[in-house]
Amino acid sequence: MRAGLEDVNALEVRELGYRYPDGTAALRGVTFSVAEGERVALIGPNGAGKSTLLLHLNGLLPEHAAAAPVVRVFGTPVAEPHLAAIRARVGLLFQDPDDQIFCPTVWEDVAFGPQQLGLRGTQLAARVAQTLEQVGLTGFDERLPHHLSRGEKRRVCLAGLLACEARLLALDEPTSDLDPRGRRELKSLLVNLPVAQVIATHDLELVVELCPRVIVLDRGGVVAQGPATDLLADEELMLAHGLERPHILRHRHPH
Amino acid sequence: MHRALLEPYQHQRSAIHRLPAGVKSGGALAFVLVIVLPSRVAWPAYAAGAGLLLLLAGLSRIPPGALARRLLLVEPFALGVALLSLLQPNGLMVFAATLTKSTLCLFCMVLLSSTTRFSALLRVLRRIRVPSLLVTTIALMHRYLFLLVEETGCMVRARRSRTFTRDRASAWRSSASVIAQLFVRSSERAERIYAAMCARGWKT
Amino acid sequence: MHIPDGFLDAKTAMATGVLATAGLGLALANVRRTVPPRRIPLIGLAAAFVFAAQMLNFPVAGGTSGHLIGAVLAAVLLGPGAAVLVMSAVLILQCLMFADGGVTALGANLFNMALIAPALGYGIYRLLRRIVGKGLRGRLFATAFAAWCSTIAAALSCAGQLALSGTVPLRVALPAMGGIHLLIGLGEALITTLVVAAVARARPELLLEPAGPRLQPRYGELTARGVLVVLGLAIFVAPFASGWPDGLEKVAATLGFERRGAAGPVLGAPLPDYRFPGIGSTALSAIIAGVAGTLVAFGLAWLLAFLLTRRRGAGAHPGGKGTAPDAPRAA
Repeated sequence: MRAGLEDVNALEVRELGYRYPDGTAALRGVTFSVAEGERVALIGPNGAGKSTLLLHLNGLLPEHAAAAPVVRVFGTPVAEPHLAAIRARVGLLFQDPDDQIFCPTVWEDVAFGPQQLGLRGTQLAARVAQTLEQVGLTGFDERLPHHLSRGEKRRVCLAGLLACEARLLALDEPTSDLDPRGRRELKSLLVNLPVAQVIATHDLELVVELCPRVIVLDRGGVVAQGPATDLLADEELMLAHGLERPHILRHRHPH
Repeated sequence: MHRALLEPYQHQRSAIHRLPAGVKSGGALAFVLVIVLPSRVAWPAYAAGAGLLLLLAGLSRIPPGALARRLLLVEPFALGVALLSLLQPNGLMVFAATLTKSTLCLFCMVLLSSTTRFSALLRVLRRIRVPSLLVTTIALMHRYLFLLVEETGCMVRARRSRTFTRDRASAWRSSASVIAQLFVRSSERAERIYAAMCARGWKT
Repeated sequence: MHIPDGFLDAKTAMATGVLATAGLGLALANVRRTVPPRRIPLIGLAAAFVFAAQMLNFPVAGGTSGHLIGAVLAAVLLGPGAAVLVMSAVLILQCLMFADGGVTALGANLFNMALIAPALGYGIYRLLRRIVGKGLRGRLFATAFAAWCSTIAAALSCAGQLALSGTVPLRVALPAMGGIHLLIGLGEALITTLVVAAVARARPELLLEPAGPRLQPRYGELTARGVLVVLGLAIFVAPFASGWPDGLEKVAATLGFERRGAAGPVLGAPLPDYRFPGIGSTALSAIIAGVAGTLVAFGLAWLLAFLLTRRRGAGAHPGGKGTAPDAPRAA
């Protein structure tokens, strides 16, 4: 699958478990890996623990209390004292873009991450301009967040992550509540990004279009992982875990 | 107030709009100080000030109706308190002077806020070394104000569609619970915002 | 009660500016020390929330309406330091972007609504809670009375500032501002308490508990704050105290005369209630009226708290006195 001396996976998760403060188990023994540049979908019914899993990828939830760290990003464990570096490498796209755009203007919001990393002046301006162009929002510098459409907000959030030069993107329901055009724009954006992506989503059509590999999560545990076309076409598996076979696969000839 | 939040005129490109925010706010402050601070009433100065403001308003090309409406929004309190000043010897002079001064300053500030983007004003505040905790609070407040007003509208509409009595007591009750719900939602959102800030490396 | 530009003279504007800056500085230091970083965004959102709440207006006597200040609400939900920060942010935004409150009056407005109101209100709240106990009823009672007091205090301070500037004579400003805010304060108390009760019901863990010993402010800071409050109140209320001994009858006569010919329809009729008939000295009668008013407010606050907690979840019956009909449980 991948060649070269640098054989480090973008993401390695090994036996990740997590309990909510009230004791309920949210994740149990989750194990998977994502190669550099690979796109993997995380699917499952509501409450399966997808969002909780994503929050572990950049240390926002406290790490597993095991001796050995269970989540590694590009070989670095997701734990102190590496958290600052991890958070630059891992871009987490929140479900509600309004939670993520907290600066007064688009420019300032995209600049937030690089500023925390120490960029200033012309370097900063160049980075922001380049990322805004990458997501197709050139000229949006002075726009106010509450003037933006849902899709534009999502793209601003994405720009904010790319501006930190993230190499692994963790996306929580990126196409939820987007209209068809917004969805198309986001999809083409993600397709053209060379970074590794973990996409938690209900949008199974998107999964078929974007992700060669799929991880099925239910009740905090991984119940299946493998090629998307195989797993998604398995109607029994889909229905057993609160999903269903996407339309796009119903009319394909099985290979 | 809703409309003012949307900043309908701040993005125009008149000569006034294009002036740097620091210049505009400094000028506004100077104007206000000159009008307000001297203890002697100076009608010629007030007339000149009014002329200047009208000129600037014209240059800004903001519809006069919009400016007038914003002015009228804040006048009533000024009028009310000014009326109290009548109740003293020499009251009429005090009343007239106070009302004139405050109207001029109101007009000046309305003009400033109509021609300046709030994000630019925030940058001015940072530059004059207002403590960053205060500026951050003001910035977050402004950012989420519109969202909050929208959420309030939704909740009020939802309540109204489930209310069948016109009992004033229950109106008070449901207003309070709407406000409480807003606070709860704001707390939850604040947690997520904190997570988002940390996720992008926020150093407190 | 946002004072516009032009109502305060230079000396008052500068004095309040200095006091406000000092008080705000103290509050910022307090917040940086006692509030963990994860609650910083909450302060910003709470400011948005108070701003929105201030847009509520409720009818008061005689066709006038009052507005919420929200200082005690912020203090009970977030603590006094954060409340000062919240109120300051709201007032600054209102001044800069909505011309609500003058630039030269910003110091005074901050002093009244962002320092006196939350600090005094929170002080009374803590004091009462210590006396009345930790239960919800005690908390609601303390909230109600503290909210009422904070409104009055802010109004009196405002009146003092207007008088000191020579804009409105004290004998008019004090009863006018104080009087109308005796009623507006009831609205503030009612809304604040209802909201705190609703939050307590929905998410009790969100209500701030009094700081443990670890987070108690240093004595130096306490003293500084106390001095600031006392100094400010002294400056604005002292004229009141010094004005009374001389020419009481003259003031009363003038005031009586003024009342008959008053040109102020904007304000309702609290003035007559300020005097007890049959008592000669107007100073004494004013003091008695004030004390009586305070006791009434005290009683109303207690009644409100009682009604709100009598049947948990049965909903509130605002307005206090009298019948509390068996209303069906609100959704």
